Amino acid sequence: MDSALAIEVVAYILQFILIFLSIAIVVHKNNGTIIILIVSFSFVTASLYLINRAPDVAIAEIAIGSAIIPLIYVISISRQREFVVLDKVMDDFIIQGERLSGIGYVILHQLADFYHLELNITNDSGLCFLDENMDQTVCEKTNVDLIVTKDSKTGEYVFKGKRSNILMRRLKRFVEPFANIRVELFKDSDFGD
Amino acid sequence: MIKKLYVITILLFILVVFALVSLDFSTLYNDFGRVYFETNGYIETGSTNLVTGIYLDYRLFDSLFEAGILLIAVAGIIWISKHDLSEKNVEFMFEHFKTPELFITFSRIIFPLLLMFGIYVIVNGHISPGGGFQGGAIVATAILILYYIDQDRWTNIKVIVTVEKIVYILLIIVASISFITRGVPFTNFIPNTSNINLKVIYLMILNILIGMKVSLGLWTIFTAFLREGR
Repeated sequence: MDSALAIEVVAYILQFILIFLSIAIVVHKNNGTIIILIVSFSFVTASLYLINRAPDVAIAEIAIGSAIIPLIYVISISRQREFVVLDKVMDDFIIQGERLSGIGYVILHQLADFYHLELNITNDSGLCFLDENMDQTVCEKTNVDLIVTKDSKTGEYVFKGKRSNILMRRLKRFVEPFANIRVELFKDSDFGD
Repeated sequence: MIKKLYVITILLFILVVFALVSLDFSTLYNDFGRVYFETNGYIETGSTNLVTGIYLDYRLFDSLFEAGILLIAVAGIIWISKHDLSEKNVEFMFEHFKTPELFITFSRIIFPLLLMFGIYVIVNGHISPGGGFQGGAIVATAILILYYIDQDRWTNIKVIVTVEKIVYILLIIVASISFITRGVPFTNFIPNTSNINLKVIYLMILNILIGMKVSLGLWTIFTAFLREGR
């Protein structure tokens, strides 16, 4: 077969692959697979550029499309996978001694497992000793999803989170059998900036 | 289901329109530009790679604004990812962000090679395919790998952004020197009658400046993304 004809045939095949890939990117549900599809999409595009004698554009497409964009997506998605809990309780509700094994931890672990999230419990000193009134601001301005505190009057443990968070509804159902735990929801304020 | 159908219909519509338009391509194609650049490009710009000759000499005005777009994008990303409470939520992690050991080891091998390849692409922009933008993107990827090797790496974003702005100003200054030497802004500052090998100096300077700018800009974007949500 003539080499020019072979290249033309390859180009047509690549163009059809491109159409299938773009439909697959739109239709697919799993984020990780979508990233791989985007990478292969830009690889196919780069080889098409190369076939059409534009090596400069092909290098740019490889560098941007199949290295930088997927890495940024991977970073963003891995951040989304976390469920960050700020632990303001000073007793053994979540942390018993050195180990994470309190009742609160069991509930939160159940919740995180239900949504396939990575539980990240922190008692960062900079945020823990902030005023009670600042809780809503902390939830809005940082990536903290849930704040656990103890009501000093009634002795109840309080889970505080944003009303718009779907996970809070599920958490309410998890918490129902426990008498000494309640869920408190913040009203969502407008976007200030 | 309706949404999916809607999207697929739009895609098919675009495909059909594109196919219809591409039938008309034969009338759009002509040889004037190609013939001109092939005969005069090397003599006028001193660039073996005509693409570099075009974007650093004939169309330098466009390239400057292209570089400016990245600056604006970086500014926007920094503005969006800004937090009011002090930025110390970097030390949040109980369990560290897990990276496979194999990946780290390979990154250590690849990092210097990638960095060198990026610099090669930047410096050889006027000879081989590539140039400032492509090489800058490769260098930025190498820098990102550095973050995977050393997880607790701390970067001062302010310094990077400041250097990037200074490089952009330098770029405009170097591009405008030709107003003094040739009387026309935004072209090669070495006179047209001089030796071709001298003109390469200008191309290399501009390629290196653009490469620095692009890699610093993408580095800032990575840092903003890595810091976000930690």
